Amino acid sequence: MRPSDLIQGTLDLLILKAVATEPRHGWAIAKRIEAVSGDVLQVKQGSLYPALHRLEQQGWLRADWRRNETGREAKFYSLTKAGRTQLVEEVTQWERLSKAIQLTLRNA
Amino acid sequence: MLQQWLDVVRLRLRTFFRRERVEAELDRELHFHLEQQALENVARGMTPHDARAAAQRSFGGMEHVKEDVRDVRGTAAVDHIVRDLRYTLRALVREPLFVLAAATSIALGVGGNLAVLSLAQEFLFAAPTVREPNQLVEIRQGGNSAASYRRWKDLNESGALSSVAGYSIERAVNWYSGTEVVSLIPMLVTANFFDATGVPLARGRGFSSGEADAERDPHVAVVSHSFWQGGLKGDSAVIGSVLMLNGEPYVIVGVLPDRLRSVSGYGISPQVYLPLSRSLTPDLAAPHASIVNLLGRLKPGQSLRSGRVELDAAARRLARIDGDTTMAGVQEFERNGIPRKILPFFVLLAVVSVLVLGIACANVAGLLLARATTRRREIAVRMALGASRMRLIQQLLVEGLWLALLGTAGGLAFSVVFMQFVNRVSLPVPVPIELHLAPNGVVLGGALGLMLLTILLCALAPALRATRVALAGALKQEEPRFTNRRFTMRGLLLTGQVTVSTILLVTAFLFVRNLARTQLADPGFEVAHTLVAQIGFVQSRSGVDRTAFLQSAVERVRALPGVRTAAYARGVPLTIRGGSTNGERVRFDGRTEAVHVQYARDVVGPDYFATLSIRLLGGREFVRSDEPGAPRVAIVNEEFARRYFDGQSPVGHRFRYAEHDAGDFEIVGLAANSKHRTIGEEQRPALYLPLAQHADGLEVAFVLVRTITDANVLIVPTREALGELDRSTAVEIRPMRSALAFALLPSQIGAAVLGSLGTLGLVLAMLGLYAVVSYTVSRRVSEIAIRVALGATYGRIIRLVIGDAAALVGLGLALGLAISLLVTRPFTMFLVAGLSASDPLSFGGTALALALVSLLASWIPARRVARIDPALAMRLE
Repeated sequence: MRPSDLIQGTLDLLILKAVATEPRHGWAIAKRIEAVSGDVLQVKQGSLYPALHRLEQQGWLRADWRRNETGREAKFYSLTKAGRTQLVEEVTQWERLSKAIQLTLRNA
Repeated sequence: MLQQWLDVVRLRLRTFFRRERVEAELDRELHFHLEQQALENVARGMTPHDARAAAQRSFGGMEHVKEDVRDVRGTAAVDHIVRDLRYTLRALVREPLFVLAAATSIALGVGGNLAVLSLAQEFLFAAPTVREPNQLVEIRQGGNSAASYRRWKDLNESGALSSVAGYSIERAVNWYSGTEVVSLIPMLVTANFFDATGVPLARGRGFSSGEADAERDPHVAVVSHSFWQGGLKGDSAVIGSVLMLNGEPYVIVGVLPDRLRSVSGYGISPQVYLPLSRSLTPDLAAPHASIVNLLGRLKPGQSLRSGRVELDAAARRLARIDGDTTMAGVQEFERNGIPRKILPFFVLLAVVSVLVLGIACANVAGLLLARATTRRREIAVRMALGASRMRLIQQLLVEGLWLALLGTAGGLAFSVVFMQFVNRVSLPVPVPIELHLAPNGVVLGGALGLMLLTILLCALAPALRATRVALAGALKQEEPRFTNRRFTMRGLLLTGQVTVSTILLVTAFLFVRNLARTQLADPGFEVAHTLVAQIGFVQSRSGVDRTAFLQSAVERVRALPGVRTAAYARGVPLTIRGGSTNGERVRFDGRTEAVHVQYARDVVGPDYFATLSIRLLGGREFVRSDEPGAPRVAIVNEEFARRYFDGQSPVGHRFRYAEHDAGDFEIVGLAANSKHRTIGEEQRPALYLPLAQHADGLEVAFVLVRTITDANVLIVPTREALGELDRSTAVEIRPMRSALAFALLPSQIGAAVLGSLGTLGLVLAMLGLYAVVSYTVSRRVSEIAIRVALGATYGRIIRLVIGDAAALVGLGLALGLAISLLVTRPFTMFLVAGLSASDPLSFGGTALALALVSLLASWIPARRVARIDPALAMRLE
C-alpha cells in the first residue's frame, strides 16, 4: 500500500464519518475533521473537493443546496443509505488495519 | 442498492448533459468555502480586505481544484474531445487538398462496401413481404424443388403445420391487351396461398380458399402494382375488371402493394397471380408431376425443429400410401433460406470489397503519416509543454474521425446513387425483376461500423508512430535527411497496397477475360442471321393440332423474301427454355446390359440443323414423315457418339430406355457439337428427338428463322406472317442475339462488378503511390539539389527517384502475383471451361498494367524534382 493510497482511503473515511451525524457543507467538513482530530489532521481544499465529488458520484453522499445558520446558500452533503454501509465497512477495515499495525509495532 | 445505482446514473447524466449548471454549482461551492475562510480570518481580527486575500492564498489555485474535480466527475474527457474536434477541424480546413484526397479514398472504399452490403441484404437476407415471415418456411422434399398438386393438398390437410401453400412460376399465359397478345409468366398459387402466407393487398382482396379451388377451374386474378400501373394504365376501376388470359376472362379481385418482395425471392415479381387450375396446368392431377413449390406456416408456438419433424412424419406416411417415394421425407426446411447458389459469389464480393477498403485505408494512413512527419515539431513542442502521449494520440484519432466522417458520408451518398441505379436496371429475363435496395438500418449500421473501422485502420498506426518522437532532435527541426532505411512504415504500406491491388486486378482481369471469352465463344450454331419467334399456345384449346400449326407457321415464314429457311423446336439452346438435361439408363442395339447416359435433350422439327447451321456429319435431318405412329427416331451429336459409341458413327444403331418401355429408337443422324445450357459449359452429349413424336404438354414452342440478310429487317414481316395464323396465340419475335442475352448475364454481371471493384482498387492504389512518391521526393529536395549541384544529370535523378519506388512496387507486385495464384483457385467455378484460374494473360496483364501506372505515378513527381534549380532549393532550407 503506497502512502497516497492510505491517505486517500483515510480521507474518504474521515469525510463519511464527519457527515454521519448531520449534513454539512465542505467548509464545515474540513473544520469538523480538524476540530475532532485536535488540529492534527489538516484537510486541503485541493483534496477535499475532488474527494467529495467522487463520493457523491459513487452514490455514498447526497448533496443538496440549503441555507446555513447565517442564511447563505451552501452545498450540504449527507450520508446515503449505501454511504452508511460503506462507513461501517471502512471503520471495520480501519480498525483491523490499525490493530495490526499496533501489534506489529509492539511485538516486532 | 437499486436506489444507489439510479442515483449514480442520474449524476453521471447530469454531469454530461447539464455541464454548465454543474460548473456553476462547483464555482459557487468553492466560493462559499473562500468566504467562510475570509469570515474566519475577520473573526481573528484581520481587515476584510486582508482576510479575503489571505483566504485566497491559503486556498491555492482555484482552477487547479476545479480541474481535479472535473477529472473526478469525468467531464474532462468530454471537454478534451470537444476541444480536439474544434482544433482538428480548423487544422483540416487549412488543407483542403489533403482532406479531399483522404475523404475521397474513404468514400470509395466505404461506398463499395455499402453497395455490396445492400445487394447482399436484398439477395441473401431480405424476407418476403408476408405476415410474420419468421413463421414461414420453405419446404423441399427428396431433392425436388416442387411437389405434385396432390402432395401439396395432402400435406396441407395433414395438420403437421398450421398450413402449407404452394406456388409456381414456370408456365406462361397469353394476355390480350386489346391491341396485342403478350406472353406473361404468372405466379400460379394454391387456393390457400393468400390465407397461408398473408401476402398483403393494396386494393381488393386475395383469393379465398373457396373461390380459388383448382378443381373448380377458378377465373380470378390478382395483379402486381407495376402491372396495374403499366399494362393496365393505372385504371382506377381495376377491381372487378376483366383480364383476357389465354382467351378466357379472369376477374381481377386484388392489386398487390408497390415494392412487394415476392415469396420466390431474387426480386422476381410476376405481373399476375392466378389460382392453379385445370385449364392452366393440364397435368394438375398427375401423381408425379412437379407442380408447386411448397411454403409452410408453423403453428403458433411450434418450433422450427418440431415443425420439421411433424411434416417429415406426415410426408413419409403419405409416401407409403401413394407410393410417390421421390417426395418422401423433408429434405430442406428453413426460414427464408439463404440461396446457396449465389452465396459463393457474395463471399467473393465481400472479400474483394473489404480489400478495396483496405487499400483506401492504406492510402489515408500513408497521407496521415506523411503529415505527421511534417508536424514533428508541433508535436514535440506540445509534448515538451507537458501534453501526455495519450492526449496527442486522442487528438490525432479525432482528426481521423473527421476524415472518416466525411468519407463515410460520401460513401453513403455513393451507395444510395448505386442503389437507385440498380433498382432501375432492367435485365433480359422473362419475369420482371424488381429490386428494392434502400438505405435501411442495416446499411446505416454498416456505415457506422465501417467508419469506426476506418478510423482504427487509417489513424491509429500513424498516431502511435507520430507521437514517438525524439524531443530534442525534433525541436531543432532536425530531420533524418539522408536516411537509407528501406523498410519505413510508408514503404511497408505501399508494398501492402500494391500487393492487395495486384490480387484485385488479377481477379478483375479474370472476370473480364471470362466475359470476353463468353462473348466470343462459338455456340456452334448461327446467331447473327437468326430470328427467334416464341409461340405461346392457349392451353385450354387442346383440340388444335399444335404440330400442324407449327408446320404451317414454318411454311408461311419460309415463303417470306429474305428468309433462307425456318424450323420449329420446343426450346432454344442457351436460353431458359434450352431443353432439359437428362440422365437415363438405356440399352443399345438390343443388348441386355444397360448403360447410364447423360445428355441434353432437345425436341426439334424438320430442317432444324439447316436453320441453325449445325453441320450434319452423317445420316439425315428429321423430316415430316417422322410423325406419331412412324418408327421412333433420334439424332445424336458428336460428343454423344464419342462417349457412347467410341467415336464410331452411331447412325443406324438403335437404343431403348431401360426403365420405361417406349419401344426402340433408331439413330438416324449425327450432328456437330454445339452449346446447350451455358456458353461456357464443357461439351455435352446431346440427343435430339422429333417434335411431332414428342408433342405432349406443348405450351410454348419456337419458330427459328434463318435469314439471308440482316435479321432485324425481318422481324416485322415475320410477326405479320405468324399473326395471321391465329390471333389468340402470343408471338414474341427477337433476334437470336438478344434471346441469348440471358446466357451471357452471369458473366456480364460478374465482369461488371469485379471489373469496377478492381479498377477502383487500381485507382486508389495509384493515388496512394503518387502521394507517397511525391511526399518522399519533397523530403529529399535538398539531397537532390546537392546531387544536381555536384553534376548529376536529369536522367540520373529520374532513375534515382523511380528506382526507389520501383523496388517497393516490384516487391508488392511479386507478392501479389504469388498470393493471387492461391487465391484465384476457387474462382474456377465461375469461369468458362478452358479459362484457367491462373490464366497467364490475366496475370501478365495485371503485372504490365500495374508497372505502367506506377511508373507514371512516380515519374510525374520525379520529373518535377529533377528540374529543380539547386541554388533555389538549398536556399529554401
